[in-house]
Amino acid sequence: MGVGNQTSFGGTNDDTLSFNGEAQRNVMTNELISGWGRTQWVRSQIERASTSEEVRDLVQSGQKRLIPRGLGRSYGDAAQLSGGISLLLDEPSTDPIITDGRTTLSAGYSLDNLLRRIVPKGYFVPVTPGTRYVTLGGALASDIHGKNHHLEGTFSRHIESFAIVTPTGTHLVTENSDPDLFNATAGGMGLTGIVTDMTMKLIPIESAYIKMETSRLRDLDETLATMAGSDHKFRYSVAWIDLMARGSAMGRSVLTRGDHALKADLSPQLAQDPFKYEAKALADAPSFIPNGLLNNLTVRAFNELWFRKAPSYRADEVSTIAAFFHPLDMVGKWNRIYGKKGFLQYQFVLPDGKEEVLREIIERLSGLQVASFLAVLKRFGPENDAFLSFPKPGWTLALDIPITNAEIGNLLDELDRMVLLAGGRIYLAKDSRMSKEVFEEMYPKLDRFKEVKARVDPNNVITSDIATRLSIC
Amino acid sequence: MFDAFRTPDNVLVVGGSSDIGLEIAKALAKRGSSNFLLAGRNIDQMASCANDISSSSKSRCQVAVVHYDASHENSHGHLLAAAKDELKTLDYAIFAVGLLGDQLNDEKDPAKTKEILDINFTTQAMAILEVANYMKEQGFGHIVVISSVAGVRVRRSNFIYGAAKAGLDGFSMALGDALAGSGVGVTVVRPGFVKTKMTAHLSAAPLSTNAEAVAKATLKATDAEKSSVYVPFAIGIVAGIYRHLPRKIARRVPF
Ligand SMILES: Cc1cc2nc3c(=O)[nH]c(=O)nc-3n(C[C@H](O)[C@H](O)[C@H](O)COP(=O)(O)OP(=O)(O)OC[C@H]3O[C@@H](n4cnc5c(N)ncnc54)[C@H](O)[C@@H]3O)c2cc1C
Ligand SMILES: NC(=O)c1ccc[n+]([C@@H]2O[C@H](COP(=O)([O-])OP(=O)(O)OC[C@H]3O[C@@H](n4cnc5c(N)ncnc54)[C@H](OP(=O)(O)O)[C@@H]3O)[C@@H](O)[C@H]2O)c1
Repeated sequence: MGVGNQTSFGGTNDDTLSFNGEAQRNVMTNELISGWGRTQWVRSQIERASTSEEVRDLVQSGQKRLIPRGLGRSYGDAAQLSGGISLLLDEPSTDPIITDGRTTLSAGYSLDNLLRRIVPKGYFVPVTPGTRYVTLGGALASDIHGKNHHLEGTFSRHIESFAIVTPTGTHLVTENSDPDLFNATAGGMGLTGIVTDMTMKLIPIESAYIKMETSRLRDLDETLATMAGSDHKFRYSVAWIDLMARGSAMGRSVLTRGDHALKADLSPQLAQDPFKYEAKALADAPSFIPNGLLNNLTVRAFNELWFRKAPSYRADEVSTIAAFFHPLDMVGKWNRIYGKKGFLQYQFVLPDGKEEVLREIIERLSGLQVASFLAVLKRFGPENDAFLSFPKPGWTLALDIPITNAEIGNLLDELDRMVLLAGGRIYLAKDSRMSKEVFEEMYPKLDRFKEVKARVDPNNVITSDIATRLSIC
Repeated sequence: MFDAFRTPDNVLVVGGSSDIGLEIAKALAKRGSSNFLLAGRNIDQMASCANDISSSSKSRCQVAVVHYDASHENSHGHLLAAAKDELKTLDYAIFAVGLLGDQLNDEKDPAKTKEILDINFTTQAMAILEVANYMKEQGFGHIVVISSVAGVRVRRSNFIYGAAKAGLDGFSMALGDALAGSGVGVTVVRPGFVKTKMTAHLSAAPLSTNAEAVAKATLKATDAEKSSVYVPFAIGIVAGIYRHLPRKIARRVPF
């Protein structure tokens, strides 16, 4: 199945699990698994399936509870079921067939593999997250967003149809054929069933490069004004905020924006092979990091360096796809650098007009002085109809927080309240800690989701740890 | 379930009226644990504990109480059944049953001796195993066993209790080994002298501590998934030295 060590099973503690699906078929493994944040470790039975018949047999036998799992890049406990089955789809080695700019693929396909195969043919995925080590199934279930959300919306908006196996039947779903099942599955964290295949609209590109503009912005005011003022002129936009900066520099950022480079934008050298796609992992992070290595001082020094390194303004730079979209993928298994207790990612969205709340939250976070490298700030465009989809118009901020003591949990609970009051919400794919009460209030379409869930899975055969923790179903 | 900070949702306290158990439960409630089951003999006392826990809680919180007498037949079976009924998942179980006894009288009375051994060791070992096996099936969970420095080196002054604690301690530590990689953790807590109702009739020994301090140290240890912890820290050093003293000298140390 051609999966390298990198795309292998993200969340087990056992590297030997980067196995080849064929060799391991029918071998029942019981493994300790967690999400990308390495916080909630549980035992789960790992099953693999390569055809929708195999999936159907497993799901519709109703023998044991299960949850689909992709590459384990969700941070918390969404892709695991303690004491039940975590079901992985094998990644087929077939080349995607593209007709009319559309392609139908197994949900087990990774974005990494897909990009390697379609970029040289002049196509790109409509939405990519900050890592290419996600599966299409995981992307749909989290209804992921990319740097182009302000213009092009979430992943599910580019999915024309998908095949899903639920405990009560197998369906081919489009937004028109069964809008409820479509909108419960997009963003539904795998809880409506196992998506086996999907048809996606790709976007044509003229090169494997991005024409990029970089601006160094001195504080939060300038960052917000610049993004609100001109993000619409760029297909892709994201700002990295230095959360360690305080006082007048609070909210300083490096904003990078860009578009797919046209052939004419390339240097003669690059133009010789405009679709040359290179995406390499340079090295793995060491598995053992001495405690305290990642302290405030080292992080502050890093952030300082990074900020100064950025040009105050530079346009027309040409970057590779990998460097522009997936810089973190250059280091494999970097989630281990946070040590034994792991880390979490806090990501929320605040509606337009709530910039003061954003400022207050950033102030509280920088006051906390947790060793956080950088926070990612981005603008969201319109909300869609998917019941548990995260984005809504406004600002989203995401930052990594190492688990040190439970006090930080209390602060985050307070921030949750501020986000909730302002009409915002927390992203399920990143969550590992919010309370049920807050979750329910943040997702007012939860009832509609539950109706669909009761229709397709009345006995709750498909469930997960996050579903139990947040009483999603 | 646990959250990223290792705060459990659902907590079982065996010895639901215990002062130490109560403080641990309160500390968890403060962090956001939302469902508690107190198992013990003294329903009135547990009802008042339930109030304390609710009022420490930072959000909505439910506390249920179930009758559990360790000396009754199949008490461990009833305990697990109640836990399954009351708690959606069994995340965190605290074993805080203990009976100090009165050494000089008990050593003349085989029935009393048996009771001290049973309550502190045999019945608890059975209950702990019942919970451990269930958690193993469940795929995750954490067990806290309140042992004692009295079990590190058993002393003349309370050797029945001390021997039972030594048994419980060894049992629980090795159970933790047996559960390695199962998703279930065990933390053995070894307090020194703690001012609680168990010791109310005694004058405090050196390095004495209180139940809140035991709770704080326990959470810190379970957050870090430590297999054991002494409270206070210094008592561990004292116990470590005392345990290796030649018996002739140890016998003369006055505690
Ligand atoms: C470094 C990094 C950067 C990221 N950047 C972004 C970003 O920019 N934008 C963004 O939106 N997200 C981002 N994410 C989050 C990530 O995109 C999502 O968590 C995504 O769901 C992970 O995909 P996965 O294949 O690893 O799925 P998993 O984490 O394995 O599973 C996620 C969910 O999908 C469900 N699922 C998996 N397969 C199927 C299937 N076949 N059928 C039905 N349900 C299924 C699971 O049950 C689970 O609920 C990032 C994560 C990382 C680690
Ligand atoms: N206090 C110390 O100095 C000290 C030091 C080291 C270790 N410890 C240990 O810490 C734990 C908690 O003790 P504590 O200090 O909190 O004292 P505590 O308040 O007296 O708690 C002891 C608990 O054990 C319960 N218990 C006794 N016999 C029982 C039985 N047959 N069935 C059910 N429950 C029974 C008691 O219930 P009732 O209320 O019904 O009696 C009480 O809840 C014990 O294991 C103890 O050995 C204490």
